[in-house]
Amino acid sequence: MSAEEGAKKDIAPSITLALGIVGGLVGIYLSPISVIGPLLAALGAVCAIVWGAAAIRRVASYGLGTGVPSIGYMSLAIGIIGVLGGLATAIYLGPTFSIVAPVIVLVLSMIFGGLVALIGKKVVGMKIPILVSCTTELAGASALSVLGFSAAIAGGYSMTAIVTSVMSTGFIGLFFILNTMAIQHPFNACLGPNENQRRTLKLAATTAFMSMAIVGILTIGFNSHWWLISMKAFLADSFESAASVRYSGLWPKEDEQ
Amino acid sequence: MMDPLLLIGAITVGGVLIGGGVHFIPVGGAPAAIATATGVGTGTAMLAAGGGMTGLITAAALTGQPLWLILAGGAVGSSIMLGITMLVGNLVYVWGVGCVPASAKVEYDPITKYEQSKFVTPGTEGHGIPTVCFVSGIIGGALGGIGGGLIYWALYEGLSVLPGYSTTLTTSGVSLGAATVAAIFAVGVFFVNAVVASYNIGGTIEGFHDPKFKRFPRGALACIIASFIAGLIAVLLLKGGVF
Repeated sequence: MSAEEGAKKDIAPSITLALGIVGGLVGIYLSPISVIGPLLAALGAVCAIVWGAAAIRRVASYGLGTGVPSIGYMSLAIGIIGVLGGLATAIYLGPTFSIVAPVIVLVLSMIFGGLVALIGKKVVGMKIPILVSCTTELAGASALSVLGFSAAIAGGYSMTAIVTSVMSTGFIGLFFILNTMAIQHPFNACLGPNENQRRTLKLAATTAFMSMAIVGILTIGFNSHWWLISMKAFLADSFESAASVRYSGLWPKEDEQ
Repeated sequence: MMDPLLLIGAITVGGVLIGGGVHFIPVGGAPAAIATATGVGTGTAMLAAGGGMTGLITAAALTGQPLWLILAGGAVGSSIMLGITMLVGNLVYVWGVGCVPASAKVEYDPITKYEQSKFVTPGTEGHGIPTVCFVSGIIGGALGGIGGGLIYWALYEGLSVLPGYSTTLTTSGVSLGAATVAAIFAVGVFFVNAVVASYNIGGTIEGFHDPKFKRFPRGALACIIASFIAGLIAVLLLKGGVF
């Protein structure tokens, strides 16, 4: 198969958005199920990470001037603030609203993300046309990925469970860096003239499943086979896109003197 | 219970201190990493992570102490972390790369009065971390640490008295839940402001002597608005602390 045939059309932003929101929320809502609940919540977080990687790919290809990681850190920061604020809002509104807590988290994070991007555009004067929409998506993806992994560890999405088993134990600090890496690394590693969305998203799946494996270790249970499958797909795609991949050996002995 | 307005105020002031502090830190980015620009060879997010988190750890270590001690703890922690980063960076630039620390933005170093332009390699924007950048970086670290410490203090004082958080008390009477929630929230506000400030700078800056420092008021305004919104979300945390 030639490179032209290999370069299929990009997956539409609406599809990754739907994958992230639906996958993420379904995973989080199923987290209280015994035995497989944490697995489903972590899979929801994986969907959210792939969504985030697709959004960061679009916004960072404009050249932010501060590197790809910075917007990743910022959106994860917004996401964590949104998770804390959203869960607390659900408690404040009363017991009947506890069921919609993940939706409040998502909406609050996206609003905060959108406002920060608006500040970037209106006050700071950044000239990226899709900054607001992409940062809004990124903030939502970050919030769902953090809430998904937190729910996997806590076995539910209630504030009490998350404060005792995710906040007090310090896992939240780990998620901050872990999810930032999972979301920003794929595009940061793949960017360049030969960048292609499907390959970047496959790498996003590997980083997401890798994070999930770490969360799996934390929740006692290993899910690394998904990482192997997506890593294999990413490597196969990379080999396909390269003109040729050859092992050149070490340099000849006479050059070493 | 803490007055919500005091909490919003503390977070807004803290956020502006953080965003302002970032303008002082000599961020060199990728060009500095190959010694073709003055400053530390990494992006704002990384420097904010190093300086900010160290400042929060030193501030949080003083939980329960008077406010000024917490702020001083944050300032000292952040400044030391950035100082070590710049010092070791300079060791690498001087003895590893083999270039003289020199600024391309000023003719004479405003602090040492040493001539700079003679020592700037043609085709580069300076290299290493000259004295003025180092001093500027220390000031930036201190401002950021004070800001982070202020946010941590306000949130911890607000949350630790709430019924939801007073269940996780340690032996020394510190509420673990409130401390960790306040710390991660402060880290969040830190990163939002650091990145907004770095968008304002446009990637790289040498310090307070850099012409780009004139953009400071615009960056401070952006940080005031962003932190104010974060403060409103923090009030939701106070309201939802009964669980």
